Amino acid sequence: MSLEINCQLRRDKFNLEVHLTVAPGAVLAITGENGSGKTSTLDMIAGLLACTTGKISLNGKVFDDSTTNRFMQPEKRGVSTVFQGGGLFSHMTIEKNLIFGRGAAFRNTPRFDSAVEQFNLTGLLSRKPSTLSGGQRQRVALARAFLAPSEILLLDEPTTSLDATSRDEVRSAMKTFFETYNGVVVLVSHDDAEIAELATNVARITILRGENTAAVLRN
Amino acid sequence: MKRSLSAPSGLWLIALPAVAIVIVPVLAVFWRTDWSSFLTSISNETSRTALELSLRTSLVATVLALIFGTPLAWLLANRDFKFKSLVRAFCVLPMVLPPVVGGVALLYAFGRRGLVGARLDEWFGIQLAFTETAAIMAQFFVAAPFFILVMEAAFDQVDRRIVGTARTFGAGPWRTFATVTLGLVRPSLLAALVLTWARALGEFGATIAFAGNTAGRTQTVPLAVYSQLESGGDDALALSTLMMIISLGVLITLRGRWVSALRRGGQ
Repeated sequence: MSLEINCQLRRDKFNLEVHLTVAPGAVLAITGENGSGKTSTLDMIAGLLACTTGKISLNGKVFDDSTTNRFMQPEKRGVSTVFQGGGLFSHMTIEKNLIFGRGAAFRNTPRFDSAVEQFNLTGLLSRKPSTLSGGQRQRVALARAFLAPSEILLLDEPTTSLDATSRDEVRSAMKTFFETYNGVVVLVSHDDAEIAELATNVARITILRGENTAAVLRN
Repeated sequence: MKRSLSAPSGLWLIALPAVAIVIVPVLAVFWRTDWSSFLTSISNETSRTALELSLRTSLVATVLALIFGTPLAWLLANRDFKFKSLVRAFCVLPMVLPPVVGGVALLYAFGRRGLVGARLDEWFGIQLAFTETAAIMAQFFVAAPFFILVMEAAFDQVDRRIVGTARTFGAGPWRTFATVTLGLVRPSLLAALVLTWARALGEFGATIAFAGNTAGRTQTVPLAVYSQLESGGDDALALSTLMMIISLGVLITLRGRWVSALRRGGQ
């Protein structure tokens, strides 16, 4: 019962090899140099990129398998994401962002109300993302991921480019979020303090430079 | 002393002709228009029919560009396929082709003896040339490339990760397209529609070659202006003034929005 990844991603001069096993309830931090393939790893889990060869599965549910040529579309995978910059829909209000993919009735549920309170978003619901600060946007992105029914939560440098105060706010929001989350969390981060505070396991991408650059990620 | 960084001096002087060559003719038309008879001129039988026909055909052509151009623009921006650059070249060909040549080409394709037209006539008894449908096709031929080009740039500007985010939150490809992608490109979509409609409204060359110049059937406003000018009628000026008022009205309503939308694509 876990997320299992054994796959390769090949691009013209770059080879990424990923071998990861993450159990539910664990928070795996992925760290490594820029351009080493951290975001690509998240994309492969989310289904925005297909592995060149190999297999990704969650609790036996096959996400991607090059031998049987299976590829599950992102919307079927039960993944929620907090990508760099939050990935909010700039043309929608915060409320619309939060209930994206759910019916309009969802905003009247106690779950919605408690998430708004937990992530400190009261008073922001009718605003557009562009009018929010970086920290506020990240809290919206976290709340959206929190509200979506998911078995995997992917976070791509959620506190990069934030000032110290908002970073602390977002970090504590993540902490409470992770404590109640039953699924698998994969967190890409550069920040050792953040990793120490939030992660239960760490995987570092090692880059082997040769004629072709290869990066290996394993835990 | 002006408290700002200086620009190369004399730029205004060199830039002036570029503005003047547009402003002077516009002013000339307004200056020569006989405003006392303007309303009668544009509301007589010929003018009114031409106006109605122009509005109808240009709107239909624009809607067709929207329906067929949007998927094409999305594919050009997002998918790699065989002969893509060739497809794109054909899509924009009408922009560089003299419109009258386009009209001739349409005639050889869909005319009664044309490549496709002969079959349509033979099998279904459908004749397209010199009908209102032909006027719409001519406008679509000339105007749709503007729509496709603007929308391809707009779709290209849409952040793939935002679209990917929508997919991970449970929206399928169609739903993502409708609620996220289209929402993000809305300013460009509006600009593209206006530009396409304006180009369709002004279409002359392809229309006269493929649809002809029959009053009440295929004589759109630009053709009516041409006919009036040929026969020395007074309505040419009034109709020209009206076209200018419509064009300026559209541009003023949109202010600078469409220009910046064209520049920025979808953001």
